[in-house]
Amino acid sequence: MSPVLKLTDLSVSFNTPRGMLKAVRGVTIELNAGESLGVVGESGSGKTVLSRATMGLLPRTATRTGTVEYLGKDISNYSAKEVRDLWGTGMAMIFQDPMTALNPVRRIGDQLTESLIVRLGMDKKAAREKAVALLKRVRIPDPDAMMRKFPYQLSGGMRQRIMIAIAVSCNPEMLFADEPTTALDVTVQAQVLELLSELRKEFNMAMILVTHDLGVVAGHTDKIAVMYAGDVVEYAPTRQLFTNMKMPYTEALLKSIPRLETPTGTRLPVIEGRLPDPTKDEPGCPFANRCPYVTDKCRAEKPPLTDGGNNHFYRCWFPIGGN
Amino acid sequence: MLKRFWKKPLGYKLSAVWIAFILFLAVFRDLLPGPAWDESTEALGVGPFSPGHFFGTTQDGFDVLAGVINGARLSVLVAVTSVLIGGGIGTFIGVTAAYFKGKYDRVVNVVFNMLLSIPNLVLSLALISVLAATKDGVPASDGRKVGVMVLSLIIVIIPILGRIARSATLQWSTREFIIASKSMGTKDLTIIKKHILPNVAPAILAIGFFAIGVVIIVEGSLSILGIGIAGGASWGSMLAIGRSYLEFSPWETYFPVAMIAFTVLSTNYFGDYVRAQLDKRESKI
Repeated sequence: MSPVLKLTDLSVSFNTPRGMLKAVRGVTIELNAGESLGVVGESGSGKTVLSRATMGLLPRTATRTGTVEYLGKDISNYSAKEVRDLWGTGMAMIFQDPMTALNPVRRIGDQLTESLIVRLGMDKKAAREKAVALLKRVRIPDPDAMMRKFPYQLSGGMRQRIMIAIAVSCNPEMLFADEPTTALDVTVQAQVLELLSELRKEFNMAMILVTHDLGVVAGHTDKIAVMYAGDVVEYAPTRQLFTNMKMPYTEALLKSIPRLETPTGTRLPVIEGRLPDPTKDEPGCPFANRCPYVTDKCRAEKPPLTDGGNNHFYRCWFPIGGN
Repeated sequence: MLKRFWKKPLGYKLSAVWIAFILFLAVFRDLLPGPAWDESTEALGVGPFSPGHFFGTTQDGFDVLAGVINGARLSVLVAVTSVLIGGGIGTFIGVTAAYFKGKYDRVVNVVFNMLLSIPNLVLSLALISVLAATKDGVPASDGRKVGVMVLSLIIVIIPILGRIARSATLQWSTREFIIASKSMGTKDLTIIKKHILPNVAPAILAIGFFAIGVVIIVEGSLSILGIGIAGGASWGSMLAIGRSYLEFSPWETYFPVAMIAFTVLSTNYFGDYVRAQLDKRESKI
């Protein structure tokens, strides 16, 4: 059986006044039904662009190269209409900020039934019933009353549940969750992630979970791709990644998560420096300037994606724990 | 409903009542008692508050009150139709231009700017003198004149409301919920209808009220310049006649001026109120 999603050498660049901005540089990823992939990286590492590029939701200034295969079919040259036919029913996306991702002047019920009516051709009554069932599924109390409410009457967690209900309403094979919990408070985060995992298993969806928080992906993904400056720098099954970390960058990311055990007043380790200029193509490893283990070789030559066995790939000359 | 209305600010209440009153006059003109507006009476140039002629009469013996009431219909008709049609076309063009962007948007923008750079009075003047010209000594019919005037006002209104619609759409179409709806495979026209229009409507409504005021003033100005509606059938037209007798019977001018002033003030106030409500709503979102 062919994988739900297969990206081969996917690159995205934006035409900006300062030159071509390379947001994603040749990413290769494969995802099977029911599997979930966490895409982790700091702001500007290209993780959001990667998920939007896969769906084809890029602005006009962007150019995309490489291939996107969906259920074995190459969809990278699909027309706007063909891609639109896939959206919702094939691939759906949950957005980062539930405060802005719902139309403020329309009732929840209308927004939820919209795609059911337009995409699945349901009549109003059936769509309403399905919508109430969906609301119940995402654990909204009193779904009938919720159908009549406006987004401003709801909390962030509620809105994100509704976004999730909308995204899964047309039974997509592939779900993109673009930082679904970033705008929510911590207690709600866990609930929303738990809900996403449940739904993924229930509908046997493949899921890409984009986040900057390694803690978020740890419990909810099968594999993880760590992105840095548009490159996937480490790609491994989740357990493998956490037990046998190879990239200094991944290690630095993990260290910068605050821990309860550390005594009060300890400074939180940060990754010094900034991402390299994405409009320039500098030689060497893009992480070289911030890496604690940097050598001359790192500055001179960009490391290739190396297969470290056990489906573990990394992009480093001197991985932690040796090759 | 009425209780809620009384809690509103005074300016809003007065303007709403005045607009309702003018609409009432425009619709029920023929059912109101009093002398006919176009029949001369024996009383020539009688001052206001005289028996039978509450607003006085003109030098030609026409009842001013009847004229003012009658004028409401044409002034309102011209203003409302031109704003409705011009606003509709402008909104359609503005929203689609901002939504689809590209070449279409650039062309629309240039055309809007060109139309806005022509003073609206000059545009109307030119159109009326060409399309409703006096031919062989026979002036064009009033109907034709009104038609051409409405047409010219529509052309004035399209870019005004079109730009508002365009800028509002530009603002809303980058919102995440539009992308979210798109990502569910919704068609562009559905998105425009269901997601963009409800959001830009209040802004257009607010400016639309201002536009009604602008149009009433333009209509008056055209009449004073002598190319508008003749014979005292609109407020502007009454002004055009009355200003020649300003020293003998100033009330002939005062009352239509007052009508224009209050009506424009009311539409502006009302538009302002609509916009304030919009801002309040915006802050809730």
